[in-house]
Amino acid sequence: MHRGKGMKFVGDSRVPALRKPNIPKDYSEYPGKTEAFYPNFLLKEWLIGAVFLIGFLILTVAHPSPLEAQADPTDTGYIPLPDWYFLFLYQLLKYEFASGPYNIVGAIIVPGLAFTALLLAPFLDPGPERRPIKRPLPTAFMLLALSSIVYLTWESVVNHDWEAAEAQGQIVEEVAIDKESEGYQIYANATCINCHGENLEGGVGPALVTTEKTAEEIAEIAVNGITKNDVVAMPPSWTGSEEELAVLAEFIATLGDEE
Amino acid sequence: MLNKLYDWVDERLDITPIWRDIADHEVPEHVNPAHHFSAFVYCFGGLTFFVTVIQILSGMFLTMYYVPDVENAWNSVYYLQNEVAFGEIVRGMHHWGASLVIVMIFLHTLRVFFTGSYKKPRELNWMVGVMLFGVILGLGFTGYLLPWDMKALFATKVGIEIAASVPVIGEYIKILLAGDDTILGAQTLTRFFAIHVFFLPAALLGLMGAHFIMIRKQGISGPL
Amino acid sequence: MSNNRVSRRQFLSYTIMGVGGFMASSLVLPMVRFAVDPALQVEGDSDFIVTDQLVSELTEEPIRVSFSYEQQDAWYTSEVTNDAWVYKAGDEIIALSPVCKHLGCTVQWEGSADFPNQFFCPCHNGRYEKNGNNIPGTPPLGPLDQFVVEVRDGYLALGEVKPNFIVS
Repeated sequence: MHRGKGMKFVGDSRVPALRKPNIPKDYSEYPGKTEAFYPNFLLKEWLIGAVFLIGFLILTVAHPSPLEAQADPTDTGYIPLPDWYFLFLYQLLKYEFASGPYNIVGAIIVPGLAFTALLLAPFLDPGPERRPIKRPLPTAFMLLALSSIVYLTWESVVNHDWEAAEAQGQIVEEVAIDKESEGYQIYANATCINCHGENLEGGVGPALVTTEKTAEEIAEIAVNGITKNDVVAMPPSWTGSEEELAVLAEFIATLGDEE
Repeated sequence: MLNKLYDWVDERLDITPIWRDIADHEVPEHVNPAHHFSAFVYCFGGLTFFVTVIQILSGMFLTMYYVPDVENAWNSVYYLQNEVAFGEIVRGMHHWGASLVIVMIFLHTLRVFFTGSYKKPRELNWMVGVMLFGVILGLGFTGYLLPWDMKALFATKVGIEIAASVPVIGEYIKILLAGDDTILGAQTLTRFFAIHVFFLPAALLGLMGAHFIMIRKQGISGPL
Repeated sequence: MSNNRVSRRQFLSYTIMGVGGFMASSLVLPMVRFAVDPALQVEGDSDFIVTDQLVSELTEEPIRVSFSYEQQDAWYTSEVTNDAWVYKAGDEIIALSPVCKHLGCTVQWEGSADFPNQFFCPCHNGRYEKNGNNIPGTPPLGPLDQFVVEVRDGYLALGEVKPNFIVS
């Protein structure tokens, strides 16, 4: 830009009397390997942007953003999970020396140190060398931080019970339940109601309104419970008679079917 | 006609040098993916900006339907996602854009780090960039609560507890964020909304302006 | 550079504009459609609302009939109470909307002692004849809107509000 001494201005204002012509130099005749930002370079940027945008739009169309059931502070059975980019922090807090009495280590000191180090990187690594291989320490620290973030995120993903996460917090359609019916009476008098809720909306156990299971399967589960990976997800519960069990199973199986 | 209008404005405000400076600055070949394909790593900054623009736009449109209130927040999100035409897509853009902007800024940070581009004279710009990273993480954290669904509530509970574990001032940070020392509810939601929609975006725009002005002033770091 | 040749620079500029237009439109179009959705909502046929006014009690004199219904406003449902001015003209039941066509105030039958047998709007002294026709020289620009009327089990039922269809 043309600035400084010798500049003529209009009157006493700062608008220069000598106006820059509106026609730029023609870069097609420019000999060097650099090129003008507009239009040469910008076009390349925009092509990348357009490809990126198409991918992005396909993602939004293919995967509707999730929405769980309305927040219910009284639901104590819910296992929270942060958004994926905070998973490594979440995982860090599970370790012995980063939780309990050392919680401050995992919650504040480690992330705080990492962030401060990142912020002050130019002063921690002041040498003129720019190639990663020629400044081994900063590179090593960054790789260490990177691999621990990747490792912690991965650990947290594999250790999370995704099936349970899927089941909890689902938007449960309100199904009209006939509380006078024989099936509901049996349900209410047995232990089922303690875990599966007054309206079968779920609680400690999952909702039973749309199980998509047959009556036989439900009866089987009621008697034997569910054991998954040696963890008892539901204890064997049914202690009543065969006849009542059949009515109960039929009652639960047909819920949500009617339309 | 348009030229005349432009000349009229230019004569008074001398706007040509402003955009000429942006349009005519020379871009070195080592950042140009058309010369070396590996130069695509230099695109992450631009893509971060692009997703940020998507976020700002889609966010503006989402607030046409969204209400930051415990009674209606979830219902309005449910309504805009399921009843309004293209609601699923606009909310999808904002939701997935939030993830992508973090991916992109992360990759951009790594590029700058491994090319040593934060070195003198660009220390200040690096620090502004790290602060931008912080602001974007803050936007992600506060935005997570807004739909007021189960995971929003419980994840935010954990997040606020983490903030509360800061020594000495932790309890105050918690009250400031949640609006109450025990309840995570109506006041938390409006606070998070205000932070997500006004405070952090204001910081974001200011820092981004500084980031770009510094890039124009200093140029792109040379090839390795 | 001759005038009719497209230079490299111009070509690149046009391509940028094209790609930019594509990006801008694919981003903004869904959002604009999202924003204008309320204007494009197809309105369902409104149901008749049965009031608790017996048709047999209606006279030639307009009376105010209140009725309430559940209003679904996006995610917000509320109970809304509305009024209508109802009278009989011969065998026909006329139900007029009380909303003044000037600026939306509520009109009263014989709301002013000076103008008997007229609907009167207190905001700007707008006046209407009994059939809803606006009196020239007063602020309103058109006649009062009218409800579609039905009789159900002897009770008055009000339907859609339409532009006045008895004033010719």
